[in-house]
Amino acid sequence: MSVLIEATAPSTVEPRGALRSFLRHRMGVIGAAMLLIAVFVAVAAPILAPYDPYEHVRVTVFDIYQKPSAEHLLGTDDGGKDVFSSLLYGARVSLIAGFAAAAIALFIGGLVGIVAGYRGGWVGSLLMRITDFFLVIPDLALQIVLVAIIGPSLGTIIFVIGVLGWTTTARLVRSQALTVRERKYVMRARAIGAGDSHILRRHILPAVLPLMLANMVLVISLAILSESTLAFLGLGDPTVISWGQMLNFAFGRGAVTAGAWWALLPPGFAIVWVVLGTTLLGTALEDALNPRLKRHHLEAAGSDVARGRNVPTLDAPTLAMTGSSADPSPILLVRDLSIEFDTPAGPKLAVEGVSFDLNRGETLGLVGESGCGKTTTVLGVLRLLPPGGRVVSGSVWFDGEDLLGLDGPALRSFRWTRLSLVFQGAMNALNPVLTVGDQIAEAVRLHAPGTTKREAADQVAELLERVGIGRRRANEYPHTYSGGMRQRAMIALALSCDPDVIVADEPTTALDVMIQAQILELLGGIARDFGTGIIIVTHDLGVVAEVCDRVVVMYGGGVAEENQAATLFREPQHPYTQELLQSFPDLAHPDRPLRGIPGSPPRIDDMPVGCRFAPRCPHAFDRCGTERPPDYSAAGGRAACFLLDLEERES
Amino acid sequence: MSGRGGYLLRKIGWALLTIFVVITFNFVLFRVLPGDPAKSGLRDPRLNPAAVEALRERFGIDKPVFLNLDGGNPFDSQYVAYFAALSRGDLGTSYAFRDQPVSSLIGQALGNTLWLILPSQFLAIIFGAGLGLFAAWRRGRALDVSALTFSLFMWSLPTFFLGIILLIIGANWLGLPTAGRITIGAGFESPLDVAIDVGRHLILPTLTLTLVLLGEYMLIMRSSVLDVFGEDYILTARAKGLSTYGIIRHHALRNAILPMVTLIALNLGFTVSGAIQVEAVYSWPGLGALTVNAVGDRDFPVLQGAFLLIAVAVVLANLIAELIYGWLDPRVSDA
Repeated sequence: MSVLIEATAPSTVEPRGALRSFLRHRMGVIGAAMLLIAVFVAVAAPILAPYDPYEHVRVTVFDIYQKPSAEHLLGTDDGGKDVFSSLLYGARVSLIAGFAAAAIALFIGGLVGIVAGYRGGWVGSLLMRITDFFLVIPDLALQIVLVAIIGPSLGTIIFVIGVLGWTTTARLVRSQALTVRERKYVMRARAIGAGDSHILRRHILPAVLPLMLANMVLVISLAILSESTLAFLGLGDPTVISWGQMLNFAFGRGAVTAGAWWALLPPGFAIVWVVLGTTLLGTALEDALNPRLKRHHLEAAGSDVARGRNVPTLDAPTLAMTGSSADPSPILLVRDLSIEFDTPAGPKLAVEGVSFDLNRGETLGLVGESGCGKTTTVLGVLRLLPPGGRVVSGSVWFDGEDLLGLDGPALRSFRWTRLSLVFQGAMNALNPVLTVGDQIAEAVRLHAPGTTKREAADQVAELLERVGIGRRRANEYPHTYSGGMRQRAMIALALSCDPDVIVADEPTTALDVMIQAQILELLGGIARDFGTGIIIVTHDLGVVAEVCDRVVVMYGGGVAEENQAATLFREPQHPYTQELLQSFPDLAHPDRPLRGIPGSPPRIDDMPVGCRFAPRCPHAFDRCGTERPPDYSAAGGRAACFLLDLEERES
Repeated sequence: MSGRGGYLLRKIGWALLTIFVVITFNFVLFRVLPGDPAKSGLRDPRLNPAAVEALRERFGIDKPVFLNLDGGNPFDSQYVAYFAALSRGDLGTSYAFRDQPVSSLIGQALGNTLWLILPSQFLAIIFGAGLGLFAAWRRGRALDVSALTFSLFMWSLPTFFLGIILLIIGANWLGLPTAGRITIGAGFESPLDVAIDVGRHLILPTLTLTLVLLGEYMLIMRSSVLDVFGEDYILTARAKGLSTYGIIRHHALRNAILPMVTLIALNLGFTVSGAIQVEAVYSWPGLGALTVNAVGDRDFPVLQGAFLLIAVAVVLANLIAELIYGWLDPRVSDA
């Protein structure tokens, strides 16, 4: 399934993804600005502050907790001092403590992480055990104990916060160093005799430093929080003015009772200001360095079909369009299907004007390289497009019913009973915390609500035996199954509601050759014995040759060629099909040299104007670059290539 | 089966080892560092050598620190004596509360702290997980954005400052008690009155701690649910025809709770730190307040005992979380 997503993902971005990354970016700018203002205030405190808070002043009872006035913008504190001036000076202590402690933490964490990750071995595991130990011990409790033992001074506090704050950095750096160490170019450098210091300097550090930069900002925010917390708890340096210290004095000396909010709120919100700024900046940096665009299979449910979709009517000529096999009544008709995806550059068509049929009991291959729109087409038909993708035009008829018009309960009861799915590899397609039997029984009972647990269990056992899995394994979890067994279990799941059509997406990828053959045999048997229509999505022509009756070759989001399998292999019409066959080992002619097709399929945000294959086509001529070829009938099938245009042939 | 038993044994073994290291660490911290109470007391110039010797013996610091290598019983050392005392539940005697054994002081305090932490944890986990789930499901919508903003703000707000703000609001507008566990000097007529009074005292501290934890748990749950929503088996469940509710209930929730369990356990230090601050603001007589006060009184036996208890409790809670994880996730027997 990861390949499934990769196939659609190269340039697809979630609808709000672009917006969100912009917002994050803006958040980073705001955070940096907030931090810069704080730094400016700290540096310029002596100029900006109307009073010097460190200067000893003679006070009377009337000077204490004075309300804000023109003279004292934020009033006075318990010692009769100007809160506004203390606030400005407090920025110095908070920032110095934050930056200095973060520097210590990063140095220790970076060192431990690099040594543990790069050296590995027993030194590495010992270091990680120590890290785990410190990760478990509650920070604040240990900070309190250490400050109490060493004695409260700004230096102690910085030291203690730094010495206890390195664990997250160490873990982060270690995992990054481990990854880099295993990279090919580093192993190569080592193999040709590069020294440790060279590898560290040239390879490890450049990979680790950006991560540490983002981490640094977050460590700073933690350190600032820690400093103010310790100061508030009375463990701060009583000789310096920090925001936490201001709160400690005010709170401990009756500001609440006196209603002197001005002595409490400003220092508190000053802390919030700096921590918020650093956190915003740190999160934005982390995002920029490690962007996570996540899939979300529940998002935007129901919006996968554009409202203004253009629906062609179903008429007799359309029905009779394709060459037919033994049973000529198509169960699935896909007409002119176009699917677009949101990209940073706006919506782009990933699939354009795709039409094909599936007859009852027929096995159809949907073939092409990854990124050609096979999987997107299938997901569009199944109404399972990822967020940001939608069907913009065309129609899908299943047994006379417009699939794209279904919604809610109708769609849910259609699913699995008429059309089911076998995903690639099946590794993650089965839920790891439910037994295989439960997952099959769930489908059975969902679509046949009266079924008792016992009846469902019997059906599950039967289904598993049908695909060659012993009934006793129903109660086991997917991780105890081998890769081939998981794929069989997935097929049993697909069969559970006796569907008319099964779509198998790369059903044999990532399985070894013997298992591949068994799975294909199983699928072939299902088509034969139950008359189930099967669509196999694959890049592997061997799979197609083995089981498919008919083949649709896709390229660049459109159908390049369609024909009966035997004819297609014998007389490929489209240059893309010819090239595909060239790159596929032929048992009849083992001496023929294999060659891949140079280049790669077009990205959806960079589609050629004319024929989508023209840039890679050995036979392309000028018309191919300007005009999109229509379908031409050829060899009993159809192909979209100007070489088949009779007028072109004559000239 | 042996895999799962092995997992249990490994986790319990690691927890025991950690506790052993914690005890040793705690011992070293208070004996070797310059803050040793007995040593600093002995530096008092008014004491004559005989008195010093008597005191040294009383505190047991006439013995070697780790191992007695001068002949005789090699285990006749301060370290071994410390373990022996611990095994009897003896944590020494408080300096500030003269006759009170440390163990009874921290025992009482622990009870009070649990009264604060357990309801807060419970509420925060329920609401945090619920909001996180909802935010993840509605990713990018108004609810999600406001939930994220809320937790970002909560993260930037020091716990003690939130406590102060709620204290001001609670005292001025809601008339709630803001300090201590119970109204001192009030004549209570029945145990119910006592319970109501203690309950009223608990409202603000619990609210503060809950809000702080809530933001954290919501973020954890949100990202955990988002991870799960991206999994292939969710697509399978959708293809099977399950409703959104069914998918969340049967396929997403259990998988999303797995990392939640681990992360909540890893975040226990965060809970402890929050509790210490809340107790300091509301003078709630728990372990945190005891610790902070012990620092002010330079009451090292209490500080040492409280720290030991906190650390061991966190290690044990971690162990419980890992055992729950092992029970929830069938895959751990392979790990």
